[in-house]
This record gives sequence, C-alpha cells and structure tokens, in this order.
Amino acid sequence: MRVREGEKETRIVVGMGTCGIAAGARDVMSAILAELAARNITDVTVSQTGCVGLCEYEPLVDVIRPGEEKVTYSYVNADKARQIVNRHVVNGQIIGEWVIARKQ
Amino acid sequence: MEFYRSHVLVCAGAGCVSSGCKAVESALIDGLKRFNLEKEVRVVETGCMGPCDMGPILVVYPEGVFYRKVKPEDVGDIVEQHLLKGRIVERLLYTTPGTRDLVPKIEEIDFFTKQTRIALRNTGIVDPESIEEYIARDGYAALGKVLSTMKPEQVIDEIKRSGLRGRGGAGFPTGMKWEFTAKAEGKPKFVVCNADEGDPGAFMDRSVLEGDPHSVIEAMAICGYAIGASQGYVYVRAEYPLAVDRLGKAIERAKKYGLLGDNIFGTPFSFDLEIRVGAGAFVCGEETALLASIMGKRGEPRPRPPFPAQSGLWGKPTVLNNVETWANVPVIILKGADWFASLGTAKSKGTKVFALAGKITNTGLVEVPMGTPLGEIIYDIGGGIPKGKKFKAAQTGGPSGGCIPAQYLNTPVDYDSLAQLGTIMGSGGLIVMDEDTCMVDMAKFFLEFCVDESCGKCAPCRVGTKRMHEILDRITKGEGKEGDVELLLDLGQQIKNSALCGLGQTAPNPVLSMIKYFRDEYDEHIREKKCRASVCASLFDSPCQNTCPAGIDVPIYVDYIKQRKYADAYLTVKRDNPFPLVCGRVCDHPCEGKCRRAQVDEPVAIRTLKRFVADWELEHKGELPTFAAGRTTGKKVAVIGSGPAGLTAAHYLALKGYSVTVFEALPVAGGMLAVGIPEYRLPKQMLAAEIDSIRRLGVEIRTGVRVGKDITLEQMKEQGYAALFVAIGAHADQKIGIEGEDLEGVVSGVKFLRDLNLGEDPGVKGKRVAVIGGGNVAMDAARSALRLGAAEVTVVYRRRKEDMPAIQVEIDEAIHEGVKFIFLAAPLKVTGMGNKVDALECQRMNLGEFDKSGRRRPVPAEGATFAVAADVVIAAIGQAPEGEALRNAGIPFLKGGTVEADAKTTLTAVDGVFAGGDCVTGPDTVINAIAAGKKAAREIDKYLGGDGDVVPKAVIERAITGEIIEREMPRAEAGSIDGKRRLCSFDEVELGLTEEAAVREAGRCLRCDVKDA
Repeated sequence: MRVREGEKETRIVVGMGTCGIAAGARDVMSAILAELAARNITDVTVSQTGCVGLCEYEPLVDVIRPGEEKVTYSYVNADKARQIVNRHVVNGQIIGEWVIARKQ
Repeated sequence: MEFYRSHVLVCAGAGCVSSGCKAVESALIDGLKRFNLEKEVRVVETGCMGPCDMGPILVVYPEGVFYRKVKPEDVGDIVEQHLLKGRIVERLLYTTPGTRDLVPKIEEIDFFTKQTRIALRNTGIVDPESIEEYIARDGYAALGKVLSTMKPEQVIDEIKRSGLRGRGGAGFPTGMKWEFTAKAEGKPKFVVCNADEGDPGAFMDRSVLEGDPHSVIEAMAICGYAIGASQGYVYVRAEYPLAVDRLGKAIERAKKYGLLGDNIFGTPFSFDLEIRVGAGAFVCGEETALLASIMGKRGEPRPRPPFPAQSGLWGKPTVLNNVETWANVPVIILKGADWFASLGTAKSKGTKVFALAGKITNTGLVEVPMGTPLGEIIYDIGGGIPKGKKFKAAQTGGPSGGCIPAQYLNTPVDYDSLAQLGTIMGSGGLIVMDEDTCMVDMAKFFLEFCVDESCGKCAPCRVGTKRMHEILDRITKGEGKEGDVELLLDLGQQIKNSALCGLGQTAPNPVLSMIKYFRDEYDEHIREKKCRASVCASLFDSPCQNTCPAGIDVPIYVDYIKQRKYADAYLTVKRDNPFPLVCGRVCDHPCEGKCRRAQVDEPVAIRTLKRFVADWELEHKGELPTFAAGRTTGKKVAVIGSGPAGLTAAHYLALKGYSVTVFEALPVAGGMLAVGIPEYRLPKQMLAAEIDSIRRLGVEIRTGVRVGKDITLEQMKEQGYAALFVAIGAHADQKIGIEGEDLEGVVSGVKFLRDLNLGEDPGVKGKRVAVIGGGNVAMDAARSALRLGAAEVTVVYRRRKEDMPAIQVEIDEAIHEGVKFIFLAAPLKVTGMGNKVDALECQRMNLGEFDKSGRRRPVPAEGATFAVAADVVIAAIGQAPEGEALRNAGIPFLKGGTVEADAKTTLTAVDGVFAGGDCVTGPDTVINAIAAGKKAAREIDKYLGGDGDVVPKAVIERAITGEIIEREMPRAEAGSIDGKRRLCSFDEVELGLTEEAAVREAGRCLRCDVKDA
C-alpha cells in the first residue's frame, strides 16, 4: 500500500542534501512546518530529499498537489516558503515567478 | 510480506465495469503470467476513480501512469512495454488539456532533458530516510531477483557483460574485479565501498549517500552474494556527517526489514554492513591505504600486487568499488546488461556523474551518457560561463587529472578520449575555468593540495611535489627563470614514473597538462612577469591596469577624480594613452571586465570616468593639456598612417625629442577614428581636439599623401627620415564571395562609413537596408543607415547574438534604435531587378560542433533559405590593409594581406622600417592600436640609440585617500539622448557624467592596487 500512499494528499518535498542545507533548507523546512501548524493544516505530507543536482538553485522545494504536476521552486527562503504554503498549497495558485525557469 | 515492484490499479467502478474492465483485468493477469511477472506486479481492483467516460482505466504505480480507454487487446502492450521494459505506452496516455503545461516541470528544463540518470535515479526524488520510498522505486527488487533467480556466476557475468567500469576514476572493469575476488582463495571475503571522496570539486558520492543510501546497500549485498562474502564496509569520510548519518539510518532500516542480516529473503544468504569513518586523508581514497585504514592501521599505500582481489582486508580477497559504481549495480541487474551496454561508447558503457563546479552557471551534479561532448555538458546542461566570460579550460580528475582547453569542446567524454588528451575521467569533478583563471596559479593550487595530502611514505611524492610547488610558487611571484618549465616537465615525469601509489603518480598531471596547453602563459609569467588573468598578485598593481593593453594606471586616475584633481587625473591617463577623450568614448574597456568591484556589485565605470575627466579639461581649459616635448635629438622619424597606432607612436616619439612627420593618404587625420567611427559615437571636433594636442608637440601631419605613390620610400630616406613606422590600418573591403555582389546597391561597410564621414551622402534615404556581419563596423553602418532615413535596417549574422564580436552596448543601442536582427543566417546571394539589388537571399544556419574558439560553428540547415527584401546591402564582414603601394615599395606582406613584422621588435624585414596596429594584426580595437603604437615608439627609440623609456616619468604613491566603500552602491550610468533626436541627427548619443556623479562613481573604486591597506 505504501507504494500508493501520498497521492491523496499534497506533498511538499524540500531538498536537504548538504547543498540545500548550506543554502538554508533547514530554515525553509521549519518555516513550512510552522506555517502548516499555524494554519492547522494536517493533510499535507512534508518530506525531505537529497541533492537533485541543481545545487546552484538550492534551496529547492517541490509541491505536488494530488492529480497535478510537480512544481519546483528555486532559491526558496523562509518567507517564500510561507507564501508557497499559503498561495500554492492552500489556494492552488502556482507562483510562476519563483518556479524554476526553463531556458528560452 | 511480499514486495511488488509495481501495482496496477484497475478501476472496477460501475462505469468501468460496464465499459468492459473485467475483460481487461483478466487479460492483464494472463499477460503477467506469460512474462512471469506475477510475483513482481500486483493487480489491484479499486473503486470508481471518477473519470468514468475514460474507462476502462488502468493506473500503474509507482510511476503513476494513467492509461485510459484500455481494451483487452491493448493489455499486451502495457505488460510487455511498460511492466517488463519500463516504456510507457504513450498512445494510451491521458493528455492534459492546456493550462498546466505552461508551468515547466523540473524534468523539462534544459538541465535535465539532456541527462540520463541511473546512479542519480533517486537522489532528489525519494526521502533518503524512508526505505519505503526506495522500495517504491524498485528498491531491493534487484537483490530479490539475484537471490531468487540467479546464481552468483550469473550475477558476475551480468555485470561483466554490462561493461560497467569503476567510477572512482581508474575505470577498471567492475565485473572482472568481482570475478577475480570470487575465484581467489581465502575466506571470509569482503565487500568494501570507497566513499572517501576527496577530489576538490567532486561531490557525487556524498550526494548519493545522502540522497539514496539504500542503492549502495543493495548493490553491496548483491556483490556479497556474487563473490561469497557476508560482511561489507563503507569507508566514508568524517567530513560528510549527513552522509554518515543517513547511511547509518538506512543500514538500520534495511536490517529491520530483513534486507540485511541473516537469511535475507528467506534464503541461506547473509550479509551485514558496517560504516568505517575515515579522518579525511586524501590518500585513503587509494585502495590499499583505504583498506589499511579500515583495519585500524596508518592510512598508507603499499605496493601492488597483490591486489585487494587477492589480498585485501586482513589478507582476504576483497572487492572495493566506489559509491557511484555501486549505485549503478541494482539498475543493471533489473534492466539487464544489454540495456546498460546500449548506453555510452564502445569502451565506456553507461553514464557518468559529473560535479560541475567553478565558473559555470548551473553548479551542480549531472549524469550523462558516456561520450557526451564536453561542450554539451558545459553549455547545454551547465548553462555556460556566467557574466559572458570566455571559457578557457575544464579540469577533469581534480588534482590527479588534467585540463581540456577550448579547442577540444567536441571531445566525447569517456575514459579513452580523456586519456588521449592527457587527462583522466577521475571521480567526475569537472572544474570549469574562464578567462579569469591563471593556469600557473591553478596548477600551483592543485599541486599544493597534493603536497599537503602526500602521506610521505615515498620520496618522489614527498619531496618531488614539494620541489615542483616551490618552482611554481616562484613563477607566480615573478621570480621564474628560463628553464623552469623544462625542470617542471622533467621532475613531473620522474615523479609519475617512480611514486609508489596513485596519488604521487598522478600529482604532476595538472602541471604537465597545463604546460602542454598553456605554455605561453608560463612563458609570459617567466619572461614578461605578466599574469594575463590578473591572478598572480605580485606581478601587477591592479587588475584593471594589468588588463589595459596600454597599461593605464586606472586606480590612480580614478582616485584623482575622487579628490577632484582633474588635471592630475587627465595627465595620469595621458601618460599611457594619448587619446583619453577618444577612449573615454569608444574604448571596449577590457579593464572593466576584470574590475574587482564586480564581486561586490558592478564594475567601476572606468571608461565613462575617463571621458568625464577629458571632457572637463577640454571644457575648462579650451584645449587638452599635454606634456612638454623632449630635448631634440635632431633625428627625423616618419609615420605612415594617422590612425590611433600612428599618432600614438608620433606622440611618444615627439616626447622623446624626435622630429616626427605623419603621412596620411586620406584628406583627414585620425584613420579609422575619423572615417570609421560615426559622428554620433565620436564627434569630429572631439577627435580634432585630441589630435591637436599631439600636433602641439611639434608633430607634422601631412594629409592627402599616399606613401609609395605620392612619395617613395627612397625619397623619404633622402629627406632624412632615420626610421619609418608603418601604421596604415585596415581600410580595404573584403569580398563576401557570393553571387550578385557586383550589383548596384551592394557596398562594403568601411566604404559606407568612410563616404559618410567624408561628407558624402551614401543615399539610403527611404530604402531598405540589409547589413551583413556582427562586428562594430556592422553596428556602426546599421545605426548610421537609420539616421540617414533608411526605411528599414536588418542585420544578418551567421552566429547567435551572444557570439557577436561587436561591443555589447553597441548591439543593445542598435536594437533600441530599431535595427532588426536575423541571427543564424548566412548570405547566399544578392538578387536584383536588372542591375539593382532587390533582395538578399539567406541560408538558415543551425549550431553545429564547437570550433577552435569555443563557439558553436554555424552549419547550413538543409533546404532552409529565405530572402530579405533590400535596396541596399552593406557587407561588413572584415577589412584588410590597403597595402598595394607599400607592397610595391618592398615592404613584406603576409598571405592574409597583413604586414609582416617581428612580434617583439615590431621591425619588418626592411631595415629601419617598423610596423604595428591593424595593418599587422588585422582589424582590432582602438586601445590595442594605441598599445601597438606605444610599443613601436619604444622600439624605434631603442633603434635610434635611445633608452626606450617613452612614457613620461611620474612619482606614484599608492595610498588610500578616503573611505573605501564596500557596501553595495549602484554604478553611475551615463545618460543618452532620446530616441527621436537620435534618428534624425548624428548628435552624440551618450551623455557624459556630471561632476557629482563622476566623483561618486570614482568613490566606488576598491583601490586594490594598494597592497598593505
């Protein structure tokens, strides 16, 4: 069953390799947890992951809402993290300008 | 508990039942049986999923692939393609309507699209502390497969057939290593993971252990089964606390799940793992030293053979592989040796992880198939070099490897191609170096690392690397001697041949390879005491001055501006460059590219400060100040050509007391400054003022005299000229070499600008103009055509915008003023109605391989041509010297049309005749022409018996005169006139700085020339 778990609820994944942590991923993680707690949101899974390779753009945060594509934010800080929770996780609005950019 | 690697959900809601899901489900179960997948894939009936109009629906996890409208006959494809081979059956996929597609998925950005991730398949995706997530992504399925279906020999055979080679750097075939160990006498046997990652700039092992520790655990267990070992060790350095922590947790979880320990999967096979934390000595990455360290001995290498496969830990057969090698193993087992061997090149299979570091935009970890060209890794995946700087070289293999210069960007990266270039794959550190990297300093850095990390056991490494380091250190301090480079090469070779272990044997590599490709930089350091990258601080005062071809003492004049001592500032510039007013306007300012201030915010606006101080002097004094001419020597020198090179030489020779006459073929003085650069960039009266200050030294300028025609060299000699300086520039057109070039309306860029500057109307009013080329002449012609009332101006350039040789601001201004650009287009032919041009036919170009300059070569796109409607075609593709008259007079020219002169003495083959500037180098910048004129003046002075000291003496005190502002502060930008005024006049576009803005800007200088501040 574990294979399928996590699909019903929104997942937030924070890049917590050494590169992410060095760039401030711990602050981001605690800001996300604090914001979720403050808003009493329980149906969100927050997990960590290792280095995806884009060290330059850390801290990276993925938001995966059920049935939607994964959205990856780059250069996240505590303040951005709180906004990501509020605007994207709660209200479903992707914050386009922070989404990792595709090269033109 | 049974583990399935995949779940297939079959929607069994009422809607899907009625559309036939039961038949689909039984077809699925049959299919799984047929391929023996029923133990790996579980079929689950679910309730209604919602989108009933798409039924029957299948969802495959863990990928989450959603198949809709599946018929029983489709099931075969899903089983065979997707469940067996991992290929998604696209025709059955659900396609998302519109909107969401606009948000890029991380996997879709360029950084990822060119990657193939095997070793890094899970990093950044799974939670490293959750074994369930690893299992969900086929984790431990390979171990299960091995234990339940394969004999140990089959496992070894599979790895051998896959072609996997050691990713730690040496590239030894992994399967053979396993086989040797399996066959070796002695029990127990051991499995060891080398996670003692020590190369500066490499961090893939850390990333795998931190992000996907189970992949290493699983692989080591597989190897244990294959070679008959039941104990493994992971040797990881203490500097990786997070890796140690996560690996430790992963081992515990694996034990709890029965994936490590006794009787794994209920089989007789038992395997256990322990972590050994190393103290972080580089030499412990060497296998014998590592094994010694695990046994609790001093981390020192020993001679091989015996190899660890025979005698490793406690004298027993031992397999030792690197983290990345391990991470590949489970995937090879699951997907098969053939699949793995299908990736990569003939002798290097699979993928390689590279850690991109140094001067590269996307610092990070990438995994690409072996054989991917280096240029693709650096530019397409790595995003290229930041701040528009030029790529110089890439170092692979860290302190044990070598560098790859720009001309080898097409090299397919695999073990053998790198070895051919004199470097190694190494563990995958890829350190990118740009023009700001000094190759002597870099070699010194790597060697210093090896000196520090040498264990001291053998003398070649302990003493030899130290001696090499001392020599390099001397060179970087300006104390290098002739013969040092040869000594380095000799010593390096000796150490390579005689050192005990890999550390010493490879330590000289960076030095040897950097000398191989960048010998000129070493010679420059030793002979000229110059470090062109402005790194070796003992060799220069400030990077800006060091970079200026004319050697202007930038920090001193900037500081005078800060103190409002404008006359002093002006003369400081003028000492080294007789054209402050001109260069303050049109110089391409290489100095700013090296300004240290850019590390805080932006470089100091050195060029506009120069303009400010020159404008100020002219405005407040009515004429530009200059130095007093020296006591007369009574000797006469002739200069041919009154461009920046010629007039600079005249200026310095006059200061030394020579009587100088400048012969100019055109009716005006100034060369390209007068007839090449348009009025809106360099007003004629400004140029005249600057030339006037040279005339005031007693220099005579005779315009309208073409040497070789109006006066012969013999006549000049008879008139008493003791030396001659040829500086005729490059004013002749170059043909495009295409059909229709002779039609009326085709004109060269230089001729167009010359006519315009000499007061003729080139006649483009109301016409459509096409300009061919991407240099400054093309930009000047295009912007001038707009001002002359052209209806439309289109620039056609065969490369990309970022490859244009024109000064950036010129390109930006041209775009701003409304010039259209077509990039990646080459002219094919000019077509015409009757005798008159009506269009320029162009060929679309694609970017091909990298050329010697490190830019991608444009190659024609098959069949893609188009026409640009045009009444006038301006070809600005290059110029050559107009050398006929001089060639006839006996001055030697090279095949390319330039004058042949000695690089050091500037002398031509004709006694007493010197040459310099564009006529020697081909079209170049103003400041390089000035530098050439100055150099020629020195040489001519020496030739005529002088000391060659042409620059006026000055006492310079390098001291801080005020507060150094280190906080961020915006750079002062000179304003410009508005667009409307631009297009109807040739008024100067750029405005100067106000006094207050200039003084403030000067205050941004960090004064890095003051050493003991």
